[in-house]
Formats: sequence, structure tokens, C-alpha cells
Amino acid sequence: MRWPRLDVRLAADALASLRLTLVFIAWLGVSVLWAYYREEGRSVILALPLAALALNLAAALLRRPALYRNGPLLAFHLSLLALVALAALGRASYLTGRVELAEGVPFDAAALEAERGPWHRGRLQEVRFMQLGFDIDYAAGMRRGATRNRVHYIDEAGFEQQALIGDMQALELYGYRFYTTHNKGFAPTFEWTAPGREPVVGAVHLPSWPIHEYEQANRWRPGGAHDELWVMLQIDEPLADAGSAWQFRLPQQHRLIVRAGEQRQELRSGELTTLAGGSLRYLGLRRWMGYVVFYDWTLSWMLAAATLAALSLGWHYWRKFAARPWRPDD
Amino acid sequence: LNLETARSTAVSRLNRMSGITDEQQTGGEMIIDELSTLWTALVCYVVAGTVAVVAVVLGRRPERTVLAGLLLGLALHTASIALRWERLGHGPFTNMFEILSSNIWSLLLAFTLAYWRIPAIRASAAVVMPVLFVMMGWLMMTDRIDGHLPPTYHTVWLYIHIGLGKVFLGAVLVAVGLAGVILLRHYGWGRRRFARLPQDARLDDLAYRCLAIGLVFDSLMLIAGAIWAQDAWGRYWAWDPLETWAFLTWLALVLALHARVTFRLSAVTGATMVWGVFVLGFLTFFGVPFVSMAPHKGAV
Repeated sequence: MRWPRLDVRLAADALASLRLTLVFIAWLGVSVLWAYYREEGRSVILALPLAALALNLAAALLRRPALYRNGPLLAFHLSLLALVALAALGRASYLTGRVELAEGVPFDAAALEAERGPWHRGRLQEVRFMQLGFDIDYAAGMRRGATRNRVHYIDEAGFEQQALIGDMQALELYGYRFYTTHNKGFAPTFEWTAPGREPVVGAVHLPSWPIHEYEQANRWRPGGAHDELWVMLQIDEPLADAGSAWQFRLPQQHRLIVRAGEQRQELRSGELTTLAGGSLRYLGLRRWMGYVVFYDWTLSWMLAAATLAALSLGWHYWRKFAARPWRPDD
Repeated sequence: LNLETARSTAVSRLNRMSGITDEQQTGGEMIIDELSTLWTALVCYVVAGTVAVVAVVLGRRPERTVLAGLLLGLALHTASIALRWERLGHGPFTNMFEILSSNIWSLLLAFTLAYWRIPAIRASAAVVMPVLFVMMGWLMMTDRIDGHLPPTYHTVWLYIHIGLGKVFLGAVLVAVGLAGVILLRHYGWGRRRFARLPQDARLDDLAYRCLAIGLVFDSLMLIAGAIWAQDAWGRYWAWDPLETWAFLTWLALVLALHARVTFRLSAVTGATMVWGVFVLGFLTFFGVPFVSMAPHKGAV
């Protein structure tokens, strides 16, 4: 039995079909809808029609003179190909994550909850910055305004720096971008001393405030403690005023209710209590900020490719329509 | 004194109807001016549109009257938006009332420009204006509450993104008018009434050009939106409802333009595709934010 010989040119011509382009565009549309309603396997669902379109386009660029002899149209389609390739590379090497940092606590890459591409080879371990505190304005009606978040960091040249980041302004280190979020709140800080052990300092991040104003409690088990600690913040002064403008700040008058097993204690800043398995000193209240972390080295290249695509498409149409202006009676 | 009391009560009632509480209201006079200017603008649009429709039915050409009505409406509408902008300190971007109002304004601006510059297609106002009447009716039924500009909206990319989107939808609206004429002719009703417009092939060609302009501006709008999203939320694209439907609209536009290059489409098929793109774009602009806008808004 003889296999039919594959004619590469014929195959490329078939692959370069404009009708096939329409089929693949429709396939991509259906895939986008599918991915919208079912998040599982989104990358694969979208990658298949995009790969098919890229193949179709690459073949058309090789085999269709109307494409490769028309400069603007060629630039447009090459930019599209570059976009698809960059998107694929970006997905292979990206990182997105979330981390919460209390005031005075340095960033720890191990605490990051992240998703990353299989080829991600960033320098996250080298990132050094510390949260110094923040102010957030609120307008009447509990409407959030500007966030001013202060950070101390060591830049890539090894120098210590300070910066004010917030809405529309991320901290960028080693290609990683750290964005403040609406997720922020209070963090009671404790010193736990178990017999025969070094004291441990820990900050318990309470749920986001003010959105969870009435759920300001969380659990913590310090090393060597017999029981898990349950900590609740009781604020004894009005902090958020729905009727007028106000600013996010630490409460001056507050208590902590700490429960460990059957024991219940009320603590104020600086107070010490003895619990089963050790002693607990309440050091005070701090603020914590939730950050979104983003890494994608293809970002600026994608922007360049997308802008070139749109502008070259505009150029193509401009030339085409200017060459033959529209007249009602042609 | 009685007159003053009555006036004050009327202001209060109007504000309640507008969703503005007495506490929120700081200058009743200004709010009344802002809304009454808007309503007057809408009346101008409706009169101009009605004249355009009736003229097509009766075979008349009161084009100057229609143009004057549209221009007067646009001037008043601009004043109303400016008054609101001045009062709130931000543009019309934050709630459905503002989004509808600003889009009616931009769509009418785009169509008025086409109406003025391309006299041969003026009768297509009889198709375009009823579409805009629907939006105006929706605007009148929408809560006229004051919006709050989230912190992520304090960026020049907001203006660029929205401005490009308005050009896109405006270009598609002009195409929709031409496509509507083709379809009405095809189904018989418009054959005699739109007889003075160019042949279907010419209208189809112009609609194609409008779609092409729409594609360029839609692409730029998506790019500007991605830049904004990256700065605001730390991701340039996340397939949120608005992004997903905006991409589907872009794909539909690409499909419609590619189909014209691939096949020799009839004017009727081309016109149907124009309407398909417009409906999808319309639902993306006004339907999706109605259902979900969470990722595009500042949270508490």
C-alpha cells in the first residue's frame, strides 16, 4: 500500500483558506462563551482555536500575495501572530497571587498564595519590602476614596527606598507588581511565650474592615499552646461614619476578647495573661493590607503588538478608502 | 411666602422622584436646571426624530428642520452633562443614568455628523432615531441618583477608553441606519419610501466602511481598557462579564468584515450582520453592566 504524497504547497493553500478563518473565528467565539460559563480548563479551551487561527494566519501570510504584498495588512496580521505567541509565552511564565502584610512585617515569598505558569522563573525570593501603614479616604455613604499606602523597599541596585503606592500605582520590583486592594483591616499583635521556648510575635489578621465590621474575630494557634486562641476585636468608639466623610484609622479605644478552651480574657494594649501552655501579651493593634501580586514579562511587548495591530489596521483602511472615496452614485 | 413654600415642596418632590434625598440636595435650583435641560434636549431629539420618520413616510425632505432639532438637542444635552459634571465633580461614567445619558449624547453626535456631512443618507435618520428613542425611554425610567467616582477611575485611561468606545459605537450606529434602510427595502416597506437614497450596493459599501472604522476604534478601546485594568486591578484581562462580551463583540465585528472579504455577500446579508454586531455591542455596553459591573467598580 502506498501512502499519498503530501504536497506541502497544496496543504499550505488549504490551511490558508479564508473560509477556514471564518470557521476558526466562530470556533473561538464559541470557546470564549464556553470558558465564560465554565472556568475549568479555560486555557486549553481558548488555546485550541487560537492555535488554529495562528496556523491559518501563518499559512495565509506565506501563500496569499494579497496579505504579504500589502504592508499595513501584513503588519496587522504579523502583530496578531505576535500577540498570540506572546499570550502563550505569558501564560507559561506568569504569576498571580495574593498576600496580606501587617505594618512593620516584611514581605515573605513563602506566604504568597499564587498561581504560576510552568516556566515561571522569577526572582520573587529576592523581593524585599515592608508595609509601613496606609490611609484611606471614605466619602459619605461608605464609598471608598484614595488609598495612600507607604512601603519601604530595597531596589534592584540594593538601595533602601520608600514609596507611596495605592490606586493606579503599584510597587514594581524584579518585574513583580504589588497592587494594594480593597482588602484591608486590623491585626492585633501578640507575644506568646511558652515555657522553655523563645517568645514568638504574631499578628492575627482580622476579616476585612469595614465590609466585615461585625465579624472582627479570628483564630490562632501559637507554637506550644494547648488550645487554639479565638480573638475578637471590640471597638469602643465610632470609627466609620456612613453619613459623612471619614478616614480609615486604628481605633484608640478598643479591647480584645481572647478565648482559649474554657478561659475568656479581655485584654488592652500591653496587658499580659496566662493561658494553658504559655503566656500571652497583647502588644497592640496594627493595620494589614491585602496585595495582588502580578508578574508577566510579556506585558509591554503585548501592548506594543496590540497597538501596532490596531494602528496598522487603521492605516490599511485609511489607504483603501482614501483611494476610492465613497460616492452615492458610483 | 405661599408660592415659595409650594416651590420648595415641588423641588423636594422632584428630587425624591430623581432619587435625590433632601440631605443630598445642596442646590435644588441647579439640579432642576440640570434635569430640565436634559428633558428639553430629549424633547428636541424626539421632535427631530419624529419629523424625520414622518418625512420619510410622507415623502418630504425637512432636512434642515431635523438637523436644527438635533443640533439644538445636542447643545442642551451638552449643557446638562456639563452642569452635572460641575456639580458632582466627575464625568458621566458611574451609573446607568449617566452611562445612558452620555451614550445617547455621543451616538447622536456621531449620527448628526454623518447627517450633516453625507446628505445622501439623511433619510436613514428614520431608522436610527427610533433606536435612540428606546435608549431615551430607558434613560427616563432610570434612577437619577448621584454616582461616586471610585478611586480606580481617577486616570486619563478612563477618558481614552470611553472616548474610543463612543467612536466605535457611533460608527456602528451609522452603519445600522444604512443596514436598516437595506432591510426595509428588502422587506417591501422601504422600497418606495427610501427610493431617494443610493442603491443598496452603495449603502452596503458605506456600512462596510463604518464597520471598518468601528473595528479600529473597538480594538483601541480594548487596548486602552487593558492598560487601565492592569493599573487599577493588577490584571490586563480577566474574562469578567464585560471583558468577555466586549471580546465577543470584537470577534463578531471581525467575523462580519472577514465574511465580506471571503464571500460576495448580498447587501441584505451584510445588513443583517451589521445589525447582529450592533445588537451584541449594545448588549455589551448597556446590558452587561446592568447584570454585573463588579470588577469594573471600586469596592468598599
